[in-house]
Amino acid sequence: MSAREFAIADTCFLIDWAAWRRRDLLFRLFRAVFVPELVLREVRSERTLEWIVEGISSGSLALFTETPGVLDLALRIVERSRLLPVRGVDLPEAVCLAVGKLRGYVVITENRGALAAADLLEELSGVVVWRALELIAEGFRRGLLSGDPRSVFAEYERETGHRFPKRDLEVALRELGGEA
Amino acid sequence: MEEKLEKWRRLEEEAREIRRREADWSFIESQPPRLKAALKLYVETGDIRLSSAVAGLSLEEFRELLRAAKIPVVA
Repeated sequence: MSAREFAIADTCFLIDWAAWRRRDLLFRLFRAVFVPELVLREVRSERTLEWIVEGISSGSLALFTETPGVLDLALRIVERSRLLPVRGVDLPEAVCLAVGKLRGYVVITENRGALAAADLLEELSGVVVWRALELIAEGFRRGLLSGDPRSVFAEYERETGHRFPKRDLEVALRELGGEA
Repeated sequence: MEEKLEKWRRLEEEAREIRRREADWSFIESQPPRLKAALKLYVETGDIRLSSAVAGLSLEEFRELLRAAKIPVVA
């Protein structure tokens, strides 16, 4: 069993993703997606909570209890990120990044600070970070999504209020054979 | 490292421009002072956790407010 069959998701991603009609795609991409306790505590709306509970009940989502080792690394990531001249990382995202490093899980986040930290901090080298953009693209690659990729990305933006960076979206569309 | 930092600064500036351009400024200006300040902070920084704390709202409540203000989350 590969660590890449597991993922760990942060709050901002879950809130947006839960608003999308094809949100259960996430459960087909990974064997299990972990939700840190810190992240679960931040989720309040009925829509998101119901979806998370359904996911936990079906075994697609799982609660992740932060261990001292994870918290220790997460705090170091928070501190190190605050030394950089770009947006820093908060503890819930740092927990996801720490688990990505220690366990090899795919980190799912829409947080710019977390994306930058994974790119910039040496202690996070090798950590794989995906956004909704990479998840949707992977859904097409594996045949779990069909139709016109451009319209599916547009549907996600419309239903969640999310905006994919134009350049990244163009690269994904080109790779998927859609028109960029 | 400097090249990477420059990339992230550029991405952040692009995201800020998108938030400024797409925001419903009349909606933002019509909000009570605390919410207005938090929405403006989000437009400038993109920091949702800090902005929701300023607003005194949960992360999800603040995300709904962003949708109402037509401010996109760019990532």
